[in-house]
Amino acid sequence: MKLSRRMVLKGLGGTMLSLPFLEGLMPRTAHAADSGVLPFAIFFRQANGVASAQTTSEIGAEPERFWPRSLGALTSESLAGRALGVLDDHRAHLLVVRNVNMKDYNYGDGHARGALQGLTARGPVVEGAGGDSESGGESIDNRIGRELNPQQRDSLVFYAGRRGGWLGGPCLSYRSSNVRRAALHDPWNAYQTMIGGPGGLTPEAREQLLVRQRSVNDLVKAQLQALKQRPELSASDHERLDLHLSNVRDLEVALSCRMRADQELILQQEAPGYDSTDGTEVLATARLHMDIAVMAMACGTNRAAVIQVGNGNDGDTRYRDPDTGQLMENFHYVSHRRSSHDSSGGIITGSDLLHHHVDVQFANAFKHLLDRLVAYQMPDGKRLIEHGVAVWYNDLGNGPAHSPRNVPFVLAGSCNGFLKQGVYVEASGGGNPNHNRMLNTIGTAVGLRNAAGGYLDDFGDPALTKGVLSELIA
Amino acid sequence: MMEALVPRMRSQGLSREPAERGRWWRPVVLGLVLSGAAGCEGTISTPEGSGPPPPAVIEKPAPSVRMARLTHVQWTHSVQELLRLDAPPTTLAGTFRADPAQSGFLFDNDARALSVDEALWGAYQRAAAELAGQVTTDAAKLARLLPPSAATGEERARAFVESFGLRAHRRPLAAEEVESYLGLYRKGPQAYADMPAFEGGIRLVIEAFLQSPHFLYRVERSTQAVGELVPLDDYEVASRLSYGLWSTMPDDALFAAASEGTLHSREGVAAQARRMLQDARSNTVVEAFHRTLFDVPRYAAIRPSLTRYPQVSERLGEYAARETTLFVQDVVFSRKGGYSDLLTSPATFVNDELARVYGLSGTFTADFVPVPLDSRERKGVLTQVGFLASHATSVDPDPIHRGVFVSERILCRKIGAPPANIPPLPAPQGRTNREVVASHTEAPGTACAGCHSNLINPLGFPFENFDAIGGYRTTDNGHPVDASASPNIYGETVQVRDALDLADALAANEVVHACYAQHWVEYLHGRPFAPEDGPLVERLGKLSKAGNLSIVDLVVEVVTSEGFVNRHPEELP
Repeated sequence: MKLSRRMVLKGLGGTMLSLPFLEGLMPRTAHAADSGVLPFAIFFRQANGVASAQTTSEIGAEPERFWPRSLGALTSESLAGRALGVLDDHRAHLLVVRNVNMKDYNYGDGHARGALQGLTARGPVVEGAGGDSESGGESIDNRIGRELNPQQRDSLVFYAGRRGGWLGGPCLSYRSSNVRRAALHDPWNAYQTMIGGPGGLTPEAREQLLVRQRSVNDLVKAQLQALKQRPELSASDHERLDLHLSNVRDLEVALSCRMRADQELILQQEAPGYDSTDGTEVLATARLHMDIAVMAMACGTNRAAVIQVGNGNDGDTRYRDPDTGQLMENFHYVSHRRSSHDSSGGIITGSDLLHHHVDVQFANAFKHLLDRLVAYQMPDGKRLIEHGVAVWYNDLGNGPAHSPRNVPFVLAGSCNGFLKQGVYVEASGGGNPNHNRMLNTIGTAVGLRNAAGGYLDDFGDPALTKGVLSELIA
Repeated sequence: MMEALVPRMRSQGLSREPAERGRWWRPVVLGLVLSGAAGCEGTISTPEGSGPPPPAVIEKPAPSVRMARLTHVQWTHSVQELLRLDAPPTTLAGTFRADPAQSGFLFDNDARALSVDEALWGAYQRAAAELAGQVTTDAAKLARLLPPSAATGEERARAFVESFGLRAHRRPLAAEEVESYLGLYRKGPQAYADMPAFEGGIRLVIEAFLQSPHFLYRVERSTQAVGELVPLDDYEVASRLSYGLWSTMPDDALFAAASEGTLHSREGVAAQARRMLQDARSNTVVEAFHRTLFDVPRYAAIRPSLTRYPQVSERLGEYAARETTLFVQDVVFSRKGGYSDLLTSPATFVNDELARVYGLSGTFTADFVPVPLDSRERKGVLTQVGFLASHATSVDPDPIHRGVFVSERILCRKIGAPPANIPPLPAPQGRTNREVVASHTEAPGTACAGCHSNLINPLGFPFENFDAIGGYRTTDNGHPVDASASPNIYGETVQVRDALDLADALAANEVVHACYAQHWVEYLHGRPFAPEDGPLVERLGKLSKAGNLSIVDLVVEVVTSEGFVNRHPEELP
């Protein structure tokens, strides 16, 4: 079903917002009767755990500064003074989950264990490899893209922060065991990747480009196919050729889901230090990535996005101390409570509070994402946030102990009514690993199913207990 | 002695038919091995094995993939060369998403890990359109690429497709390929209605060449076995040489050599290799290799306590990186030195800040100048600020990570990751840094002691004479520094008093030199070390240790070896 070529989005209260708006087709849905948007997931990852209640040898007893005060319905009172309190305006959309436990695989490093397992629910390819680790399976965003995206487009994988560093920088998304997905770093390039072509063109220029590109694609495809026929190629050659060949096609929604020209200009010029070590700049980049991800979901060109902030231990980023305005020590040091990447350095005074300040900055970035998702009103009258789920999650439960237990998962949005909203719940499973079931639940909410057509219950390591977390399901 | 080697080769008249390629090394290899040093102690790939020396074997190629995508650096240089641009299209390459990290390989050019995903494909397309537009809307730029005028546009276009296509595909085009590009040329008026037909057609053709898999990947198609080898054809050899030594496509001279068939002889390949190693383009490749090997990016994390060390700034890491670059450049190209020089030379380059750290007297400025360091204190790259300060906290040296680096990068001996949840180093309580580390990691009977006492700490403690910024010290926390150790280097326990002794011990060990050669093999081939590489690497290790192989010559040896100009008869599965 075609919709009008220009969609002006109504902001809250019916006013025009200076938001990117959609030109062009809205996605066709499987259920033509309603014009509902197909569900999606946007993952936003923070490293190094949160300033939850804990006792550390460095600071002593650290009070609870992150989680709500009580299970059950979220209220302003239960959130006040906590990092999650930043999200108070959106509490009706939130699903805060405690007792999500990752498996204590032998990755040889807590950060590798958390970051590489976080979206894959897999153990390492080689045990004990520490900073040289790789995950043993596909990540959930890649799976969503592969099964549910139009033309099987890749999920969007974004990275904000200094390139490289621990675990080699981007390390959350995997195409398959041992094969990482590359990440989009510069927001302008990320935007062009999302829209499937160069930005800044007139509609006529876009049409001509697509015609030219088709001719070139035909020649290139023929060459790739001829190469594939050669008997001497290895499996690795075939894999890479297949991937390349799968991308040589005309993108259906190429160039039709885009920002206004003036918005594009801003994006192109902003470059707020996407390769920076200044936390303020890094989170500003993350916000731009969020804008692009949200656009993609609204247009239906994609149904999964991952936004990674900082490298494997976010040890290059220095966030700003709101009390002094100065840059703190790098976040990894702060999370260790010490001036070192391990437990050998001098204690940083008040670093538990500094950790909380970082949590608050991430909460504010997550709030930006939720504000955007709420701002888009879709043809069915609902807000975009209701159609999908935004997931703010972490590699670890806390800082110094690098615990795989109680890893924060803050969900927002119900995926068309599938997920509970407005509550703080405890995930089932006792103290056992159940994080894979969190991914199963999110996957199911977005539309993935198992081989038998039932809820996705077996994503990740086959040795883990199967199933979803029914306590999250409405 | 390497100089004597080459004339001997020439006198044997080794210009050969392809059929003889398999035999070109045999007499020389035997000669070197028999005249050489004592038997080796096992190959690097199995450090714990130390049986009798293996028999002299012919050096062979290892199985490898057939298609290797250009790295972004290689793409940038190739495009500049192909389009004869004044400057490399670095900004355009900057729009390419970075290739993901891939563990298990030190360098960034593992062919199996370089792929074209959706994001990169889009970026290649946009770049191709941009570049084709640039050169075809500027008559001067286009003139650099066009063949002479012909009777018709189509004839000229055909000549263009053939000549440009040979360079873009890095081999002559087949007739069908020429026809398909010409088919595209004829769509020029449709595609670029605002341009003259000829230019518009050429523009579309250039766009296609830049998106062709034959440009974006190095494709090896030779399959004809000759004996136990599959010789690469001249164009394939030319590409391996140019991408190995220059990170770019073959230049006109290399294409000429290929078309004349001179890359079938070892002298032909060696002559090109030597020419290329005298060109500035090889400097960047050599620098990039050492940058990775010595983990120079880690210097960016050097953050000394500026209260404890007021004589340095936050730019210490940046200066140390510059020092390493100049040092390597000097050893490899100016002095035609060998690996021993990298490990033991006390000469380096400093600015004023580094001079303070090194305790040099004299006047220094922000400019880098060559200096001799005190040879009673310093010897080689492992006693320079970069290595020392990048393996330190803000206040203390870190003998554990220094030891791990030496083990993994210099001895090619991997150390497993430590167990999780290790308790912190205790407070010094009046002890030296060494005492603290030893008490914490070498307690008898613990799992820690297994690695630390035997493999790690003995390679790190010799550096205790250098503090967290790499400054020399003889006391630590009021006590004299003890930098003595007994590291085990490939089955041999060596007593060292300090880092100078350790540098000498490393430089005196063939397996250390073979490890260095192994890294070069991996880098030049773009794949991990394979068993077939063993004989070459051992031979080069012996020659390098004996002082008979400069680094330049080592590189020439690798690119003229059997394994470089031939393929293995079996494909990878």
